[in-house]
Amino acid sequence: MGHRSEFSVQTLAVLAELCATPSQWRHGYGIARDTGLKSGTLYPVLIRLADRGLVEARWEDEQPAGRPRRHLYRLTAEGLAAATVALARAPSPVRAPAAVRGERRRRVAARVTP
Amino acid sequence: MNWLSGVVAALLRCSSGMLPADRRGWMRALWTEAHEVPAGWRRLAWLLGGLRLTVREATRRRGLVYPLVFTAAAVTTAWSAWPGPPGDSAVAVNRADVITMAVLLAGLPWAIRRVRGPVAGGRPARLLRTGGYAAVLALVLVKAAVERVAGAPPNNFEGPARAWTGEVVFLGVMAGYAALILACSARRSPAAPGTVAIGAATGAALGVVAYVLGPLGFPLRFTGRWPACLYDAALALGALLALCAPALAGLAATRRVDHSRPPVARMRQGAMAGLWTGAAAALVVAVLSTASIALLPYDPGLRDWASSHIGQWTPVVSQWTPIYGPRGYLGYVAGNSAFAAGYLVVLALGPLFGVAMGAWSGWVAGHAGLSGIRPRALKQAQGRLG
Repeated sequence: MGHRSEFSVQTLAVLAELCATPSQWRHGYGIARDTGLKSGTLYPVLIRLADRGLVEARWEDEQPAGRPRRHLYRLTAEGLAAATVALARAPSPVRAPAAVRGERRRRVAARVTP
Repeated sequence: MNWLSGVVAALLRCSSGMLPADRRGWMRALWTEAHEVPAGWRRLAWLLGGLRLTVREATRRRGLVYPLVFTAAAVTTAWSAWPGPPGDSAVAVNRADVITMAVLLAGLPWAIRRVRGPVAGGRPARLLRTGGYAAVLALVLVKAAVERVAGAPPNNFEGPARAWTGEVVFLGVMAGYAALILACSARRSPAAPGTVAIGAATGAALGVVAYVLGPLGFPLRFTGRWPACLYDAALALGALLALCAPALAGLAATRRVDHSRPPVARMRQGAMAGLWTGAAAALVVAVLSTASIALLPYDPGLRDWASSHIGQWTPVVSQWTPIYGPRGYLGYVAGNSAFAAGYLVVLALGPLFGVAMGAWSGWVAGHAGLSGIRPRALKQAQGRLG
């Protein structure tokens, strides 16, 4: 039996995505595209992570031409440490989006299988 | 598809005001990110996810759930009561009714909050407020259904002036009910929670009994000897119960008051229990009976049953008049004086009768030494339990 992470599979997917380039600021749609998460799932995850101080957020400084300013996110130092630990404890490498769905199915199957 | 995305985006922007200040930036972020998403289904799905998030974040704050539920219920009531041909006085009365009631029910909490404080913590207060508001809205809804037929030509033989007078009285009485519900579920309630619970439960049970004994507001007729005798006995018992219930509730509430409190405090709890008994009974029987009356024109079985069971009441039969429903239904319904006004009298006098009986029982119990939790007896009971 593997160690149960304090994070959901979706949160682990977001952490893995942000962990890949920890110094780089990412925007919401980019994370959603790379993880396969929908906006209604991604933003609650980002909000909770920001509330816990694991993710920092800011608006783009400059007004780019042809599009509105983006809201940007990256892991804090604490977030990076927590993500590293959580991802190391995760039962399998978190790959999104198929990994997220597959992991959910596996967890459900593990619960119902004696 | 783009126009739909535009509508959802506009809705998202407007609804972000429902969120706490620290969440609005996130919603703005989601909204601006929508410009990056390819147009079409994917952008629409992105925006719909934002709406889902808005609802989730808004309802996470407990204080927003009840206003949202109330708004939905009020809009549904208005939507149901609104239809009707223009120029019909019954339709005008119904529309004025739902609008005024919605404004009253939405505005009264603010006024009561200033005097009695916010809603008390705990489930009973919330249950009382939600159940009370639901009953008031249900009464408005079924009354509108009755008025739509009984107050429309050619059944409005009493004229629009009388209908408007009755409407003003109805709104005044309903405002009183709403104020009572709000005040007794507030932190600085004039009645103890136990008093309200005893009164409301007794009153609700009494209302159901009254409805069963006379679903349309009149005693029933039974042809067989034994059924008629049994019904008469049940009716007599019901009348006795209606007379005694507020006093019994008042007595039960008075006995919960600490013996060291002055007699006035015990009498006040008795009066509040009686008030709640009368109010709850009147509200329950009015909602149930008016709903049955509202079904009369549309349910031939109920109409036949009503004709055969209350037909011997000659003064009532003479008030019956053919009705022509909005969709061509043909049936019979009693005049306003027999039904709507009858329940208005019950709604107005029920709480007054209850408060008088409850106060009397509280006064009698207080002076006869029947009431009050005696500290010594309480300590002995605690000792036995310990």
